[in-house]
Amino acid sequence: MSQSAEPPLTDRTLAVPAQGQMAARAGEPRNYVGIVRAAVLVILAAVALTTPGFLSQPSILSLLTTVSFIGCVAVGMTLITISGNIMSFALGALVGATAMVFVLAANWGGFAFGLVAGLAFAAATNALQGFLIGWLRANPIIVSIAALALIYGVAEAFAAHGTIYAAAGTSYAGFKGKVAGIPVEFVVFLCVAAVAQFLLSLTTFGRNLFLVGSSFRAAEAIGVRTWRAITGAYLWAGLFTAPAGIMLAIRYDAASMNYGLGYEYDAIAAVLVGGTVIKGGEGSVLRTLAGAIVIGVIQVVLVLQGLRTEWQYLIAGLIVLGVIALQTPGTRD
Amino acid sequence: MKRLRDDPHMRPLFILAACVVGLALVDARDFLTVATAASSLETFATIGLVALGLGLTMMIREFDLSVVGMYSMAGCIAVVMGGTYAWLGLACALAAGLAAGLAQGWLIVRLRLGSVGVTLGGLLVFAGIAYVVTENRALPYENMEVALGLSAPVGGIFSVRSIVAIAIFAAAALVIGLTRYGRDIIAIGSDRRAAMTAGVNVDALVIGIFGFSGFCAALSGALLSYSLASASPAGLSDVIVPAAAAAILGGVSLAGGTGRPLGIAMGVLSLAVLRAGFNAVGAPPYVNEVAMGTILLLVAVLDSTYLARRVQGLVRRVH
Repeated sequence: MSQSAEPPLTDRTLAVPAQGQMAARAGEPRNYVGIVRAAVLVILAAVALTTPGFLSQPSILSLLTTVSFIGCVAVGMTLITISGNIMSFALGALVGATAMVFVLAANWGGFAFGLVAGLAFAAATNALQGFLIGWLRANPIIVSIAALALIYGVAEAFAAHGTIYAAAGTSYAGFKGKVAGIPVEFVVFLCVAAVAQFLLSLTTFGRNLFLVGSSFRAAEAIGVRTWRAITGAYLWAGLFTAPAGIMLAIRYDAASMNYGLGYEYDAIAAVLVGGTVIKGGEGSVLRTLAGAIVIGVIQVVLVLQGLRTEWQYLIAGLIVLGVIALQTPGTRD
Repeated sequence: MKRLRDDPHMRPLFILAACVVGLALVDARDFLTVATAASSLETFATIGLVALGLGLTMMIREFDLSVVGMYSMAGCIAVVMGGTYAWLGLACALAAGLAAGLAQGWLIVRLRLGSVGVTLGGLLVFAGIAYVVTENRALPYENMEVALGLSAPVGGIFSVRSIVAIAIFAAAALVIGLTRYGRDIIAIGSDRRAAMTAGVNVDALVIGIFGFSGFCAALSGALLSYSLASASPAGLSDVIVPAAAAAILGGVSLAGGTGRPLGIAMGVLSLAVLRAGFNAVGAPPYVNEVAMGTILLLVAVLDSTYLARRVQGLVRRVH
C-alpha cells in the first residue's frame, strides 16, 4: 500500500492530477455512487410520502423554515469546505451569538441597527478566524473549535441567564409573515443562496477560492493571494450564517445560545449530502440547496414519526460517514 | 540552562511553573492548598487520557475528533451495563471504545480517507447514540459504592481515577520511550512515505493508535460517569478544547512528528492547575471557558505553518 501518503489537515501536496487522470479516476466509481444516491433519494421520498401528514400545509411550511435555517448555515459552510478547510465548528455558536447581538442592538438602536450590528458581528468574528487560517495557515479545525469555546464563554459572561428578550413592545410581526404564501425565511434563504452562487461562479474571488481549495500550493505558485481568498470565504460564511440567527431571534422575539445548537453538524451534513467534496476545490451552492432539502425532509419526517430530536445527531453522523466513505474513493483529504 | 530552555520538551514544564506562580501571586492563601492539588489531579484524570489519545493521533499527522463522542457514549454504556457489576459496565465501555477506534482507523487506512472526515462521522454517531440513550438528560447511576470509591482520596491528593490516568501515561511513556513503536510513530508523523519505505508497518500502527485513542476516551468517560454517579452527553467544547490545547502545549505539533506522552501529561497538568486555580480563587465558570478557548487559539497560532514566514516578512518590512 503505497498510496495513503497524502498529508492530511495542514498541508497539501503539489501533485495536481492531470485532466485525463482525474477523469479516469472519477469515471468508474461515480457510477455506483450515482446508483446509491438515487436509491437513497427514492427510499427517503417513499418514507416521506408514506408518513401521515407529511403533505399537509403545516408540515410543508415547517419543512420550508427548517430548510431555510439549515440552508443559510450550510451555504456559509459550503464556502469554507470549497476553500479546502473542511468545516467550521463555530458556525452553530455564531448563529446563537448573532441572534443575541441582533436583539441587544435592536433593543438599543432599533431594528435596522440590530440588523447591521448582527451582520457586522458575524462577518468580523468569522473573518478573524479566516485571517488566522489563511494568513498564518493555522489549523482550521483547531481555530474553529477555539472560536466555539470563546463564543460560548463570552456569551455566558454577557447573558448570565441564557436568554435575552426583545424590549417590551417591540414585535417583529411584519417579518414573520409570508410572501405569496411562502415563509419570509425561505425567501431570505433563496436570496442568500443566489448571492453565494453568484460569488462562486461569476467573480474572481470565486475562481480563486476553487483554485485554493483544489491545490493550495499551486494557487500560491500562480500568484493567487491565498490568504485573501480564505479570509473572504470565512467572511462571507459569517454573512450567510448571520441571517439564520437574526431570523431565529425575530421568530421567538428573544435570543439564546441554544438557538444555534447543532446547526454546524446539520450544515456539514447538508454540504456533504449535496455532493460538495470534503477535501475542497469542488462543490456548488445548488448542491448544498439540494442537501439542505434532504436534511430538512429527514428532520420533518423524524418529528412526524414521533422520534425525538436527539436522533438528529445520530442520523447526521450516519449520513456523514456514509457520504464520506462513498466520496471519491482513492483520494485522501 | 540554555540547552534546557531550547529543548521543546521542556516548554510544558515552564508553562506549568508559570501557571502555579501566577495563580499563587493572585491569591496564595486559597490557591496553595491540598484541596487545589487534589482538584487539579481530578481534572487531570478527566481530560488527561483524552489528550493522550488525541495527542498520539496528532503525532502521526491525523486528528481524532471522535474522542468527545466516545467519551459521552462510553459513560452511557458503563452506566447502563454496569448497574449490578461495575466492572462489566467498564469492560463493555472499553470494548466499545477500542472496537470503534479500530474501525475508524481501518476505514482511514483501507479506504484512504481523511481522518477528520471519518472521525467527524464517528463523533456524530457516538454522540448521537449518547443523546438517544440518555434522551438528553442525566442518566443516574445507582451503585453509589462505586461512585464514592472512585473519588475517595488515596494518599491525600490522589484518587483511583487519577491513579489510573497516571498509570496509563506511565505505560505509554515507557512503550514509546523504550520500544521501536516510539520511533515508528515519529517516523510516520514526519514522513509517511519514508517510514513505509523504511519498513514501518504504517497501516497497523495507524489503526492501533486510533484504537488506543478510542480506548483512552472510553476509559476516562466511563470512570467520570461512575464517579459523578450519572451519565450525560458532553458538549464538544467541554473536553476537546482542553485536550487539544494540552497536547499542543505539551509539545505535539499538528504537523506531526513531534511530542511525547510526558510532554502531553505536563500540558494537561498546567491546564488542570489553571482550572483548579480559577475555582480556588472563586472565578465564575465562564472565565475557565474563555481562558481555555484563548489558550487553544494562541497555541493554534504558535503552531501555524506560516508563522515564522509571516513574522520574517513583517520584520523585513520594518527595516
